[in-house]
Amino acid sequence: MRESVVESEHKNRARLLPKACHHLVKEIFIIPERLAVHHQQLSDDGVEGKREAGGQAQDSKEYCASDKDIVEVVRTEYVYTRPPPWSDVLPTIHIITPTYSRPVQKAELTRLANTFLHVPNLHWILVEDSQRRTSLVTRFLRETGLNYTHLNVETPKNYKARGNPRGTMQRNLALRWLRETFNANSSQAGIVYFADDDNAYSLELFEEMRSTQKVSVWPVAFAGGLRYESPKVNAAGKVYGWEVVFDPHRPFAIDMAGFAINLRVILFKPQAYFKLRGVKGGYQESSLLQGLVTLNDLEPKAANCTKILVWHIRTERPYLENEGKKGFSDPNMEV
Amino acid sequence: MKLKLKTVFVLYFMVSLLGLIYALMQLGKWSAQSGRGKLEVTKQPQKQPAKPSLSTIFVITPTYARLVQKAELTRLAQTFLHVPHLHWIVVEDSPHKTPLVTDLLLKSGLTYTHLHIPTAMDRKLQEGDPSWLKPRGVEQRNEGLRWLREDRRAQPGGDDQQGVVYFADDDNTYSLQLFEEMRSTQRVSVWPVGLVGGMKYERPVVEGGKVVRFHTGWRPSRPFPMDMAGFAVSLKLVLSNPEACFDGEAPMGFLESSFLQGLVTMEELEPKADNCSKVLVWHTRTEKPKMKREEALQAQGLGSDPAVEV
Repeated sequence: MRESVVESEHKNRARLLPKACHHLVKEIFIIPERLAVHHQQLSDDGVEGKREAGGQAQDSKEYCASDKDIVEVVRTEYVYTRPPPWSDVLPTIHIITPTYSRPVQKAELTRLANTFLHVPNLHWILVEDSQRRTSLVTRFLRETGLNYTHLNVETPKNYKARGNPRGTMQRNLALRWLRETFNANSSQAGIVYFADDDNAYSLELFEEMRSTQKVSVWPVAFAGGLRYESPKVNAAGKVYGWEVVFDPHRPFAIDMAGFAINLRVILFKPQAYFKLRGVKGGYQESSLLQGLVTLNDLEPKAANCTKILVWHIRTERPYLENEGKKGFSDPNMEV
Repeated sequence: MKLKLKTVFVLYFMVSLLGLIYALMQLGKWSAQSGRGKLEVTKQPQKQPAKPSLSTIFVITPTYARLVQKAELTRLAQTFLHVPHLHWIVVEDSPHKTPLVTDLLLKSGLTYTHLHIPTAMDRKLQEGDPSWLKPRGVEQRNEGLRWLREDRRAQPGGDDQQGVVYFADDDNTYSLQLFEEMRSTQRVSVWPVGLVGGMKYERPVVEGGKVVRFHTGWRPSRPFPMDMAGFAVSLKLVLSNPEACFDGEAPMGFLESSFLQGLVTMEELEPKADNCSKVLVWHTRTEKPKMKREEALQAQGLGSDPAVEV
């Protein structure tokens, strides 16, 4: 009996040792990884500005001077990693931006990059409307630190002259590049968004589109001559129409900035492109989307399409009269 | 080897402690790692909280309510969020703080001060006036300066405090390098501005490291023929010259000079941006969005939902 007790004690110890080892492995390897992910989530939260409770309690100092009604808020947390570290769990957002040379180009791309540098897992596909990739854009992209692909295709002059919408060939080239680069069967999750270089985008928009299953939609400010254009969403959360004035009977009466497409959908329908010719004004978006989804498939974002997260604005053409015919300024200085 | 249970637990505890220390060290290392990218070299800014010796950049931005205001302030905030030790002083041209700007600043993640002061009616641009007719943002910038002087007076260091003051309008475009260039300002630093004064760029002309004249297409005889976005002033200079402010009565184009004249001479200007050979800021302007359809709808009482903030 005593021997068997001793034996069973030995057996217990023998069982305990592997258990202890298991715990050691857990602590040394798994917890550090979890801490790293948590830290990244923290920095994402900081970047997104979701700091209502935590930030105000700990890090900010707020006071209201009663006489002047001044509010000063001091935050002590900064996020300086540009761009944020790549995550293995977030779907990649592939942003397709057509661009062309003009005086404000570098300024537009600069502030667009400043926006994109906050967005995790962003891949910028910048397509120049040019015969060759320009040194301005090449140097610019390299200096931003963003994850990018630099393409170019020149729109033929007769196409431009007929008043066709800008950027069509460039967007199509990017779609073709995606189809050539990514395998339809791979597990690489991705979202495709067409972002023109003169609009303004909130950071919240990119997090809304990340959960796109097929095609997601949201309102766009200043599109179609209105304060905003928006999809109409019913009580069941389905899109049933368009809150627009200009031709509401278009299959997809939505601005280029108002939708995002899951990469899988792009890859599984390799024939779908923006139509190049014979497209009526305002029908460009429909020419792509009708080959990809039906109205019923659309996923409304931005609080069931009640919030504005993107603004369709345009930058004024700068007044350059003082350059004169010969040009007053040194052409070697890049603007 | 016979291992007592007690020994196992002690060992377990020691290794767990070591594991925790290791994890914390790795956390410090991993947060400095670069993201995946198609570049050979990625320059990483320091991850540790900014050293106390980094001077604060006080950015004074006058703003006013119009359709594109939220869009402009949103993308401006996104630029500023990348800049360490930046304090944004937003001054609304308004008799009271608006909820739009209040909310935007709260959610921005920035260190900020929210002020407001209305422009006098006779100084305000009316509908249809060209933008150059009356100087804009004068009262607002002066209010920003007034607050800054009052706030800094209460800080230790008196007039010797480190800092830089920059006037950033809400529709311009700023590169991130610009803010690092201005941080070392001793008195007044200057650099080129793109797309301003009817030219591709305006800039101070530098010879032997000093500003000798200005390349500008319009009235080069002005004391400081520069745009508001083309200079920054050290906090010390602002505090030691409490009377220096913008003169709303100054003739067109002389607003910047009215402020700088009392502060510095041309010889004292510090040229930045590689001896003023690079454009790091652009004087962009945003088009007024076309609202004909919206106006037509509103005339019929069918305008868009005003509760949706644009």
